[in-house]
Amino acid sequence: MSAVAAQYEALQKLGVEVFSVSVDSHFVHKMWNDQELVKMVDGGVPFHMVSDQAGNVGRAYGVYDDQQGIEMRGRFIIDPDGVIQAMEVLTPPVGRKLAETVRQVQAYQLVRNSAGKEATPAGWEPGKPTLKPGPDLVGKVWEVWNPSMED
Amino acid sequence: MTARVGQKAPDFTAPAYFKGGFTSVKLSDYLGKWVMLCFYPGDFTFV
Repeated sequence: MSAVAAQYEALQKLGVEVFSVSVDSHFVHKMWNDQELVKMVDGGVPFHMVSDQAGNVGRAYGVYDDQQGIEMRGRFIIDPDGVIQAMEVLTPPVGRKLAETVRQVQAYQLVRNSAGKEATPAGWEPGKPTLKPGPDLVGKVWEVWNPSMED
Repeated sequence: MTARVGQKAPDFTAPAYFKGGFTSVKLSDYLGKWVMLCFYPGDFTFV
């Protein structure tokens, strides 16, 4: 979670509200923040740490593991209409890379601001060309995009 | 209800810790904003 906190500023600049969720109580969240996270993140965790002790939220999102009574590393990007645009779920031993989440938010915001007129090709980053889906693009993607542009 | 991309995010209300205080979070209160939900295995775990 300290990694999420470290990327929080980038997410906040994009107007993204962040919530972390685990089966721990909100009391334990406070302990974790005060005892450990505050040593990794200046000022402590800047976002809401949600408590889901019964696992109901995790179940609704398909990330609750009944056998272990814990939640997998699920990450969901939800748009202003309340629609899930992207999700990623990892098992516990591998941590996320938040920079990719930031990139996906930037891409989804561009698509939304264009009212669906633009799409972003593989590996797109802000400033790189977008695609304009339509009859003119069929069979012509090669003219505007190729895999070497991913890096 | 199960979460799927392109579908409405399941709403929930749950207790939360936020900047020194205890509060309640209702996801649908944040309609109109971009939201990132991040689940993780547990407090005091590594990674």
